[in-house]
Amino acid sequence: MSMPHSDGYFTKIADDTRQFFRSPGLVAVTTVAAVLIFLFIVFPIGSVLQKSFTVSYPTVSIRYRHNIATPGDFEKKLIHPVMAVLSPIPGLVKSSVVRENPQTVLIFLRFEKFWDDLKGLNDAKRAIRPIQATIEPHIEEVKYKLSKERIYSTETYKDFFANSYYWHSLRNSIILAVVSTTIITVIAFFLAYVGLRGPRRARGPLRMIGLLPLVAPPFIFSLSLILLGGRSGIISKLFDLDFNLYGWPGVIIAQAITFLPLGYLMIENVLRSLGTNMEDAATDMGATDYDILFKITIPLSLPGILKAALLVFLLAIADFGNPMLISGNVHFLATDAYLYWVGENNLEMAAVFCVFLILPSMLMFIIHEFILKGKSYTTIGGKPQQGEERSISGKILYPMLAVVIPVSMVIIACFGMIFLGAFTKILMINNTFTLEHFNSPNGIRALITSVKFALSAACIAPLFGVILSYILIRKQIPFKRVLEFSSLLGFAVPGTVMGVGYILAFNTPPIKLTGTFLIMIINEAFRNISVSLEAGSSKLHQIDVAIEEAALDMGASAMKTFFKVVLPLISSALLAGFIYTFMVGMIAVSAVIFLISPGNDLAALYILAVAEQGMLGMACAISIMLIAVVLLCLGALKLVARYTRTEVY
Amino acid sequence: MADHDRSTVLEIQNLTKRFARMTAVDNVSFSLENGKLMTFVGPSGCGKTTLLRMISGLTEPTEGKIILDGEDITFLRANARDTAMVFQNYALFPHMTVSQNIGFGLQIRKKPKDEVKREVERLLELVQLQGLGDRKTQQLSGGQQQRVALARALSLHPKILLLDEPLSNLDANLRVMMREEIRKLQEQLHLSIIFVTHDQEEAMSISDILVVMDNGIVKQIGSPTEIYERPIDEFVANFVGHINLFEGEVTDISEEKMTFRTKHGDLKIKLSEFDLSVGDRLKAVVRPESIGIASYENAINSSTNIFKGIIESYMYIGSVIRYTINAEGKTVYLDESDPQYMGIFKEGDPVKLILKDRIHLLPA
Repeated sequence: MSMPHSDGYFTKIADDTRQFFRSPGLVAVTTVAAVLIFLFIVFPIGSVLQKSFTVSYPTVSIRYRHNIATPGDFEKKLIHPVMAVLSPIPGLVKSSVVRENPQTVLIFLRFEKFWDDLKGLNDAKRAIRPIQATIEPHIEEVKYKLSKERIYSTETYKDFFANSYYWHSLRNSIILAVVSTTIITVIAFFLAYVGLRGPRRARGPLRMIGLLPLVAPPFIFSLSLILLGGRSGIISKLFDLDFNLYGWPGVIIAQAITFLPLGYLMIENVLRSLGTNMEDAATDMGATDYDILFKITIPLSLPGILKAALLVFLLAIADFGNPMLISGNVHFLATDAYLYWVGENNLEMAAVFCVFLILPSMLMFIIHEFILKGKSYTTIGGKPQQGEERSISGKILYPMLAVVIPVSMVIIACFGMIFLGAFTKILMINNTFTLEHFNSPNGIRALITSVKFALSAACIAPLFGVILSYILIRKQIPFKRVLEFSSLLGFAVPGTVMGVGYILAFNTPPIKLTGTFLIMIINEAFRNISVSLEAGSSKLHQIDVAIEEAALDMGASAMKTFFKVVLPLISSALLAGFIYTFMVGMIAVSAVIFLISPGNDLAALYILAVAEQGMLGMACAISIMLIAVVLLCLGALKLVARYTRTEVY
Repeated sequence: MADHDRSTVLEIQNLTKRFARMTAVDNVSFSLENGKLMTFVGPSGCGKTTLLRMISGLTEPTEGKIILDGEDITFLRANARDTAMVFQNYALFPHMTVSQNIGFGLQIRKKPKDEVKREVERLLELVQLQGLGDRKTQQLSGGQQQRVALARALSLHPKILLLDEPLSNLDANLRVMMREEIRKLQEQLHLSIIFVTHDQEEAMSISDILVVMDNGIVKQIGSPTEIYERPIDEFVANFVGHINLFEGEVTDISEEKMTFRTKHGDLKIKLSEFDLSVGDRLKAVVRPESIGIASYENAINSSTNIFKGIIESYMYIGSVIRYTINAEGKTVYLDESDPQYMGIFKEGDPVKLILKDRIHLLPA
């Protein structure tokens, strides 16, 4: 059972970069991959950074040729009257009148940041009119142009910290992520521990409950919490209370449920790979269940638990859907970035918000990649025992159950709410059974678009990711670490940032993609290649390099070896990547909400939109259809996997 | 138990473990004397580890009783038992140092710090790891890890020490060295040990008593010599070494010897304990090393206990040469321990096989 956990275990086929340059095919593939990664991951993130340090002002410049001969006259006849006219113009920040040469004068006007471009042109013309009137006699020729002046400055950052309504979002997001992560980590650990060591009959159901939220769109629990604990939700109606979950409690509960499966999956995996061997040894030495938990199990699984916590933190701080629906008047980074972008057209501030979204994520990512990576206690050897696993005693079991059972009930209740909401006219106001919420042509159209969208992304990401993993693991290429790091960035950087970044990067020629369906697909694919990359890498680590050497030795070219030998062996990674990308694509919200174009509405976004408009019944109904489509597609894939005998892990 | 014998440390009565789809240990009974080393040996999956885990308390038996030092511990939890186990992969705690590993059991029992420290030092010395107490366990070699595991198990002065294939992760030389050391330690400290292995040579060399298991059943219990020389059936005979089997019939019984007729010739065999009568069909078990070899021309007067054959192939191992001989259609293996003396026979050479009269018989 011992797994190689270092790169050095399997030697690379080529351990010399010179060999890389001798293979033109490899150079070509690698170059294309690197260019794409740069273009679709690094460049958009860079664009966000650049924007955050930019302040752009609408400007109008007017150039006159005049007929005044002497400088003194010039001051009196030209500049003074112009200045007098300029000062009352609304929105004018800065003005200057410069004598370029004896015959021309340049009047430069810089307007406020939010000065509307279209309105601005008219304003400018109106502003110029009195000037022209004043200096008319001296003018030979007028040229004016409307443009933007881009200034590199930290002004937007200063603005951010100067106003509490900006920086409070940052503070709130950090608090939210820390609280949610802590809650999720503890619950996930309990759930995993009881699921593996608790009463045998409870193990299966607990696992089901832990994974249940995985199939739902990420904000569905906010939706059900609104139905359950909103202003006119079940709780306030039933008990006639002035009670609602909007704000902190709602967001925290919704996040805790939304991201529980991820924490649970990772921690369960850690506990499972830890095995019971160490615990058996400790039991044999006389340790009680309590001793074992705190002296053996937790210390040993701590690196793995921290890894899970980091990932949950990344998702929690970047979460878009839950704060959007249930945050009430508490502000968070991701949603505010969207509001400043779409609502106020304050691109710079949105970019600054994005930077503050990137920073914690990058920090966590760096901790994960450079401190925690490879730090795990893999327990070696040990034959698996015959169907017998350690069971814990009540002293530990009951306190854990006291947490696990209520959590399970809330999760189940949330799913129940969605069904109740979908099949009643207006829950708690008119509880008549109805199917009318399902009759939503727009919703169904959005569902179909979602399937197209998710399938397209799922076709690109795994292939690209797996090819990349092969290059990174088996070949010695120049700037390997840079390429690896860049490709992982797409996953580490929050979706909101990637959404903003794509607009900034691709809204002007040479690559103008904004407003197309393609930009949404590319965005989704490149944000998810790292998952396929990881799947491919772990698979490749399990395959002895000698198999490829054998193919090369038999006379196959490098390309043939990859397509005929390697690809079939790692096909399960392809399929896993496909399933993952598809599922994530079906419920995507945070990045695509920026990139959405008319006619290309996606189901998850549509649900979010109707829920925001208060049409909760319809939101529930479309959610159910969405879950059904996801499950149906997963079932179909499982059949394919069984038919082709590909194992999916 | 009133009739409890003080010299018996462990008594197993009708112990059975059934899993969902199989019976891993089936109605096993035996007892272990104080200060003895007993080995459970058998092919993998025979139930020996499950049996060991039941004694340690890590697996709960379905039926039967486990009595340790006169006390019924069948349903006592593992952490309350006076047994200590050395795991196959040592199960050293990777987040602790060598000393912390060894002191774990004492620390759990809330012994004073200086006492733990003293005891750990003593144990380190006992297993010859002085000065390595502050190392991380991953920094140790396989043999050193083995010693740490042993020291950790000894720290609690268990009434019985359980070793679960402790040497299987070591390379051949180290394995031999470690088993000698374990044996020495056992004699020095007068330990009662149960040792699990699938390696018959290891089992033979280390044990006072062997328990040969197959399919959850105890096949035979006895000293290594008993098991080797008087195996109870073909399985045991085969498991503890190579054998040649000759089927035949008892044709004559005299005062000391009997005549056993095989299709290759008659064998005169010393009478064994069990009752035989003329006409019984039996199998004669002959170990490869108890057959002598002589060239065909060699004039040996007696015609009994001599078979003829032709060398089919041979394998030169150095200390021994193993011949594969075709004795009138039957393949016979023969080990010659001093090949230089006789000279090496080549393929196709006709030879005489000289069978000794101490031959073990099994019912056919």
